[in-house]
Amino acid sequence: MSGPGSGGAYSFSLTTFSPSGKLVQIEHALAAVAGGTTSLGIKATNGIVLATEKKAPSLLLDTTALEKVAPICPNIGFVYSGMGPDFRILVAKARKIAQAYWKVYGEYPPTKVLVQEVAGVVQKATQSGGVRPYGISLLIAGWDSHRGQSLWQIDPSGSYWAWKASAIGKNMVNGKTFLEKRYNDDLSLEDAIHTALLTLKEGFEGQMTEQTIELGVVTVPTAEQMQEKPGERLPPTFRKLTESEVRDYLSL
Amino acid sequence: MNSVLSQLQPPAPHLGLDQEEDEFTSSDPSAWGSMGGFGNLARNGGVQGMSIPRVNDPTAFLDLHTDNMSSNPEAKIKIAHGTTTLAFRFQGGIIVAVDSRATAGSYIASGTVKKVIEINKFLLGTMAGGAADCQYWETYLGMQCRLYELRNKERISVAAASKILSNIVYQYKGMGLSMGTMVCGWDKTGPCIFYVDDDGQRLKGDLFSVGSGSTFAYGVLDQGYRWDLTDEEAQELGRRSIVAAGHRDAYSGNTSNVFHVRENGWEFIGNYDVNELWYEYEVKKKAAREAAAPAASPMAVEA
Amino acid sequence: MELNGGSVVAMIGKDCVAIASDLRLGNQSVGVASNFEKVFPVNDKLYYGIPGLASDVYTLREHLRFRVNMYRMKEEREITPKTFTHLVSSTLYEKRFGPFFVEPVVAGIPSPTPLDPHPRPFISTMDTIGCITTPKDFAVAGTAADKLYGVAEGLWEPDLEPEDLFETISQTLLNAVDRDALSGWGVVVHLITADKVVTRTLRARMD
Repeated sequence: MSGPGSGGAYSFSLTTFSPSGKLVQIEHALAAVAGGTTSLGIKATNGIVLATEKKAPSLLLDTTALEKVAPICPNIGFVYSGMGPDFRILVAKARKIAQAYWKVYGEYPPTKVLVQEVAGVVQKATQSGGVRPYGISLLIAGWDSHRGQSLWQIDPSGSYWAWKASAIGKNMVNGKTFLEKRYNDDLSLEDAIHTALLTLKEGFEGQMTEQTIELGVVTVPTAEQMQEKPGERLPPTFRKLTESEVRDYLSL
Repeated sequence: MNSVLSQLQPPAPHLGLDQEEDEFTSSDPSAWGSMGGFGNLARNGGVQGMSIPRVNDPTAFLDLHTDNMSSNPEAKIKIAHGTTTLAFRFQGGIIVAVDSRATAGSYIASGTVKKVIEINKFLLGTMAGGAADCQYWETYLGMQCRLYELRNKERISVAAASKILSNIVYQYKGMGLSMGTMVCGWDKTGPCIFYVDDDGQRLKGDLFSVGSGSTFAYGVLDQGYRWDLTDEEAQELGRRSIVAAGHRDAYSGNTSNVFHVRENGWEFIGNYDVNELWYEYEVKKKAAREAAAPAASPMAVEA
Repeated sequence: MELNGGSVVAMIGKDCVAIASDLRLGNQSVGVASNFEKVFPVNDKLYYGIPGLASDVYTLREHLRFRVNMYRMKEEREITPKTFTHLVSSTLYEKRFGPFFVEPVVAGIPSPTPLDPHPRPFISTMDTIGCITTPKDFAVAGTAADKLYGVAEGLWEPDLEPEDLFETISQTLLNAVDRDALSGWGVVVHLITADKVVTRTLRARMD
């Protein structure tokens, strides 16, 4: 009856403040993120790119089944660094949140609203009984009619920020430094994709191929594309690049 | 059939055995057209030529298929009830005032209905309930009153006229007739009002109001009624009462018809738009309030 | 619907919309109040009307006020007519098996955005459980709905200028409620254009 997760009287959060005011479980979760493969995102004038390294622990693994960039709804996509299983749970929750929003408002959530909702889910894991924090950081790219394209990051603590460009995971310090040098405010999406690939290349272990990296892009729609036609859906503004598209970018 | 017995116990008209026969063949010739006869009325008080469902129990049959006062909301034959009518006796005769709205459910089917039926020069009938029932039977009553006059060489009393009507509706009691009427007129006894309704009730009185808006009309009427009202005051009271009812009651309104019955017969006073009168009364009420209120600021603040 | 009575109509014009309601609150045949408005603002470009059971009109209005305020704070923007319609619809369907006895009508002009600099005026209407229809001409609801259809069908024409739209919607409601025993007792009209809303109370039949 009063076991972990039952909400009984003796169910405490595992995330408990240390005397110095730190939540060590969250520090540990961040360490798990820092051990994960590198991911990054760059916002451009006409879109956003999400990029990640996809490292297979064995040659025998079928990498086509590995997925690190996930579409949440037609206008928003996620990428992560850290623990894969935790990511899949959050993706499932985020997709549910997006659909619930659609059910009420007849449209998909603006990026910021989804980020706030998901950050709320992440935060709950730092304060609830019988659970541990999520061992991932998320990069969230999306487009909406209100704010246009925006790039966000959520950490295991549940805090979130909007970025022009950011990197998370193993190489995040180097990656951020690299991005700081390369970034400017009038980057096009094509430029951003190449910058993303170059950043990823810094400290990349092994060969960078369409099998070992994943790319997702947000594109800003034209007014004509946003015109609703009866019986048709609006085109998605977030999509993953196919392996052949990734190969083309790599060969440039 | 035993002829003596059949004379003593004539078949009820609704049994329908001799419905198609006219009064020449069905009634006793010795009684026809004379004081001893019933005129167009059969001996039982019913009317010739009025067909009735050919079933054993027409009352129950009609009950099943008509919606009288919403006892059977599923019924096919529906009857409109919304109305305001009033009549009152006073020193100068009788004022009869009615609205002119006809509704079918919440639909206002007409705003120009004549709810005062002119039975003859001296008699008026009001219309509440089923329009057709009132119209038909009060016209028929006019016929009977004329026959009475021809036969008796004098005008029928209001009491007798209203009794003819109440006897007729009593015959059809339970078969879905819907009427609430005031028979108003001037006879030897002076001004006289009888209330007659579909369940056979017949009442003599000084002041009546009938219909869905009657409660509102009574409110104004009772408050302003006196026997020694002048003609103008009385007509205004009638008008004002109909306006009050037309305002509050959803099923009354549009226009008001006012009649005045005097010794030498009735007179049509006029047709008034309830809405226009209402706005007129509002202006007068506002002026009266302002005249009564002190001239000081309505927001007097203590020093 | 037939307990309290009342009707609402909305119409589209050229770069404008109008929404109007009667002012009657009744207890079946008895008129009780002649100042019962059924049209409420969401913001200065979006209004909605809810004819029907008066207690549900209040409850739903307060509920929607709460939902719209939450939306405004969470999303840091004003709700669009279309999104608001979906919000009302989903709110109504939540009570699918014990519905609010109301038939909402929404009317508004969406704010221009870079991708849609000239948004078209918008009206919509729903049944009691939230089935949406988005007419291109006019929307009617309430106890005089059938009468409103008749008059609006005859009077409405495309691309009416604001003044003409005002005249059209006013005459439509005024004449329709004159054939309905449960509506009337005053009329209020809201005329919404891109830069302002004009609200007028009309002199109507009071019987």
